[in-house]
Amino acid sequence: MTEKKILIIDDDQHLLLGLSARLKAKGYRVICAADAISAITVARKEVPDLVILDLGLPAGDGFRVLERMRDLADLAATPVIVLSARDPADNKKRALDAGAVAFFQKPPDNHEFLSAIRHALGETIALSTFLKT
Amino acid sequence: MTSEASLRVGASEYLPSATPIRSPLDSGLLRESANIEVSDTLRADLLDLDAWRQILTTFGRTTRVAVALTDSQGQVLGKCHNAQPVWQLVHDAARGWGTGCPFCITTHVPCTAVADALQTDGVVMVHDQAGLTHVAVPLLLGKLRLGAIIAGQVFDRYPDPLLLRRVAKEFGVSAQGLWELAREQRPVSNAVLQASGDLLCALGQAFLRQRYGAILEAKLAETNGRFRLLVEGVRDHALFTMDPTGRVTSWNGGAERLLGYAEAEIMGRNFSCIFTREDIQNRVPEKQLNKALEAGRVENEGWRVRGNRNQFWANVNITALEDAGLARGFAIIVHDVTERRKVATVLEEARQERACLQEKLLSHVSHELRTPLTAIYLFTTNLLDGIHGDLTPDQHEHLTFALDNVKQLKSMVGDLLDITRVETHKLTVEPQHLGLAKLIDDVLSTCLTNAAVKNISLRSDVAPGLPFVWADPARVRQILINLIDNGIKFAPAGGTVTVATRPYAENEGFLCLSVSDTGCGISRENREIVFDRLSQVRSTAEASRSGLGLGLFISRELVSRHGGRIWVESELGHGSIFYFTLPAFSLAKLCALVLTAPNLEAGCVTLIAVDVAAIEGAVQADILLEIRKVLERCIRPGQDVLLPSMSDAEPVGTFFIVAGTDAKGFEVIASRIVRELQNFDSASKLKPVISSTTLLLAPGQFGEEQIGDVASRVDQLVQAHLLGKERLK
Repeated sequence: MTEKKILIIDDDQHLLLGLSARLKAKGYRVICAADAISAITVARKEVPDLVILDLGLPAGDGFRVLERMRDLADLAATPVIVLSARDPADNKKRALDAGAVAFFQKPPDNHEFLSAIRHALGETIALSTFLKT
Repeated sequence: MTSEASLRVGASEYLPSATPIRSPLDSGLLRESANIEVSDTLRADLLDLDAWRQILTTFGRTTRVAVALTDSQGQVLGKCHNAQPVWQLVHDAARGWGTGCPFCITTHVPCTAVADALQTDGVVMVHDQAGLTHVAVPLLLGKLRLGAIIAGQVFDRYPDPLLLRRVAKEFGVSAQGLWELAREQRPVSNAVLQASGDLLCALGQAFLRQRYGAILEAKLAETNGRFRLLVEGVRDHALFTMDPTGRVTSWNGGAERLLGYAEAEIMGRNFSCIFTREDIQNRVPEKQLNKALEAGRVENEGWRVRGNRNQFWANVNITALEDAGLARGFAIIVHDVTERRKVATVLEEARQERACLQEKLLSHVSHELRTPLTAIYLFTTNLLDGIHGDLTPDQHEHLTFALDNVKQLKSMVGDLLDITRVETHKLTVEPQHLGLAKLIDDVLSTCLTNAAVKNISLRSDVAPGLPFVWADPARVRQILINLIDNGIKFAPAGGTVTVATRPYAENEGFLCLSVSDTGCGISRENREIVFDRLSQVRSTAEASRSGLGLGLFISRELVSRHGGRIWVESELGHGSIFYFTLPAFSLAKLCALVLTAPNLEAGCVTLIAVDVAAIEGAVQADILLEIRKVLERCIRPGQDVLLPSMSDAEPVGTFFIVAGTDAKGFEVIASRIVRELQNFDSASKLKPVISSTTLLLAPGQFGEEQIGDVASRVDQLVQAHLLGKERLK
C-alpha cells in the first residue's frame, strides 16, 4: 500500500512541526502550507489524499481555500478536516456545509483526531472487509 | 333640692288614639335604611336642629306648645320654640340646663319620657308635680331609634298656689310672677295635647323621612361628583368600563386623550378596536376578558392602537365587575408605557452590546490561548508517545504532569467561553437519545488519573433498567467531570467519590444523577452560593485551589438548558452530594418536532425505515454509528427526526426517520439518503436499503392529545419492526 499523503494548512509553524511529527510516526507522508495561496498551489501540485485545514490563514481564510478546492477538479473530492481554534458554535456547521468532513477545535484529542483522519481516508471501511474475511 | 322635686305622674297614661305612627318605609332608600348602620355623623345630620327649626317653630306657634329635639338618650339637642313665658322664666333661672329635659321642673333626674317613647315606639305624655305636662314623640327611621321631639304644655289646669310657691322657690323666681304668667296662659286641655302629640308624630316622621332621603341624595351626589372629578382628572391613564360583552359603557378624559376616541364616538363599541389586527385575529380581546372573569383581574402589556392607528406600548389592567355573583362588566385602566419600554429596550441593547463585546474579547482570548496550547499539547504527547525516542521514567512522569496541566488549561479556556455564552444566551445544548451507564463509565475512566493522584476511589452506582435521557452527551460529560473533579478536590486522601443515577421521585419525566464525596462538606450559607459565578468556597482542609471557580456555575447553566435542576445536600464534616436532573427520553417529545398540527393536518408525515445489512455477515457497531451520522446529515433539523434505536442493546441495523413530508416529498428524501449512503460506502459490501415507508395520515383537528397518539403509533410501528413481528406497510 502506498503512503497516504496529507496536506496540513496552518500558519502556526509549531503546529505544523508537532502535527507532522505525529502523522509521520503513524506512517503518513506529510506536506505543509502556511497560507491560503500557497496552500492551493501545493495542493494542486501534490494532490493530497487528505487536507487538514486551519480557518484563520494569511491571504484568505480557510473557507476560501475550501471553496477554491471544490472548484478544482483534482481537489473537489479530497476530504478536508478543519482544525481551528475558532468556536465550533459559529464555524462547525459552516465548515461542514462547505464540504469539510469533520471539524475539530484546537487542541484536538489525539485519539479522536486520528480516528477521523483514518475514517476520512477510507481506512475504517476496510474494517468491515476485515471483519468479513 | 329634694329628690321629690320631680314627681312623675303616670308615665304612660297617654292612650294612643291609634297605633304608633312610624315611617311608612315605602321608598327603596328607606327600606334599605332598616339595615343600614347609621353613623354618628349621619345621626347628627338627621337631627340637625337648624333643619328642624322651621317645622317645629311653626308647629309650636300653631298649637302654642314649646318644642325641643332630643337624641335617643334624652339629651336635648336644642329648643325650637319657647313661646311660653313660663318656660322662658324657668329656663333662664336654671343652670346646667342643657343636659336635662327642658320641660321637667327638676334638672338632675333624667326625664324618662323620651326613653319611654323610644321603648314603646309611641307617644308618651308626662305630668310633673307642678302640674306641667309634656309629650315625647319618638323619631324612628326603620328600626333605628334616633331621638324624640318633646312638646311642652304649661298647664292643663290653673296651678295650685302651693305648687307655684314650691316651683318659685326651687328656681328662685317670684311666685307672684309665675301666677301672673299662669293666668295669662290659657290652659290647654288634655285632648288638645293628645291631638297635638299625634300630629307632631306624623309631622316629625314625615320630615325625618324627607330629610333622610335628602341627606342620602346629597351624599350620593357628593360621592359621584368626587368620583367623576377623580376619573376625569386622571389624564395619564385611560379609564373606562364595559358591559360583559366588551362594549364600552363609560370613557374618561384620559381615555379620550390616550386612545384617541371621543366619548360619543366610542360608547357602545367593542373595545377590541384598541387592539392590533393580529391580536384581534388571535382573539386576544376575548381571551383577556375570559381571563379577567376567571381570575377577577388581569394585567398585561402589549401593543395597542389609537384611533389614528398609531401604536403604543400599553400596560393594561382589566378588572371584572361582579354583583352578587353576576358579571356586570369590566373596568379597564390603560397606561402608555412606550417610553418606559424604550428605555428598557435601550438598556437591554446596551447590556447585550456589552455582553457581545465581552464575548468577542473572550472569544479572541480563547482563540489566542488555544494556538500555543495546541503546540504544547502536540509536543508533549509526541514525546510521551515515544515519537522522538524513549523517555526515562522521570521524564515520562514530568511530561505526564505537564499534559495534565495542559488539559486543565484547555478546560479553563472552554469555561471562559461558556461563561460569555451564558451572558449572550448562546450557551446551547444539542440533546440526543443517551444511555447513562456507558457515559458514566467513560467519564469515570477519564477522571481516574486525577483520582489516583490523591488515592481516591471512584464508584458508579447506576440503577438497572433506567430509561434513556434526552441530553447533550458532551455537556453531560462536562457537568459530571466538573462535579467529580470537585469531589476529588475536596475529598481527603483515601476517600471515595460516587456517581449514581436514580429515577427522580418528584417528576417521572426526569432522571436524577448524583455525585457524592466523603469530603469536608459545605456549610449552610455556602450551599446557597456554590453555584454562583466565581464562587469558590474556602476550605480548611485544603488551602490551595485550582480552576476558575466557574465549574458549578456553568454546570448549573447547562443543567437548566436541559430543563433540569441542580442542587446540593451537605453537612460539614460529612461530605456533600450534588444532584442534578435530566429529562428522560420521550419519543412523543422528540416526534413533536415533526408531528406538528399543520404537518398532520396536511397528512404529510412519513416514517421511513432504512435497513443496513452486510451482504455477508454482521455489520460492525462502529459502522452503524457512522451510518447514523450520515443519515443525520440527510435530515433537516426541526423538520425531520432520526429516531434512536428503541432498545438499550447493541446498535440495530435499522434506522427510522420521521419526516414531515408527503409521498412526493418522500421521493426527494429517499434519493437524498441513497446518494449520501453511496458516497459513504462505495467500497464496502454494505447494503443500506430503504425498506419501508408509512404515511402517518390522520385526518381532522390536531391537539396535544392527537399528537401523542400519533407518537405512540410511531412507537408501536418501530417496536413491531424491531421485533420482526411484522413488516411496516
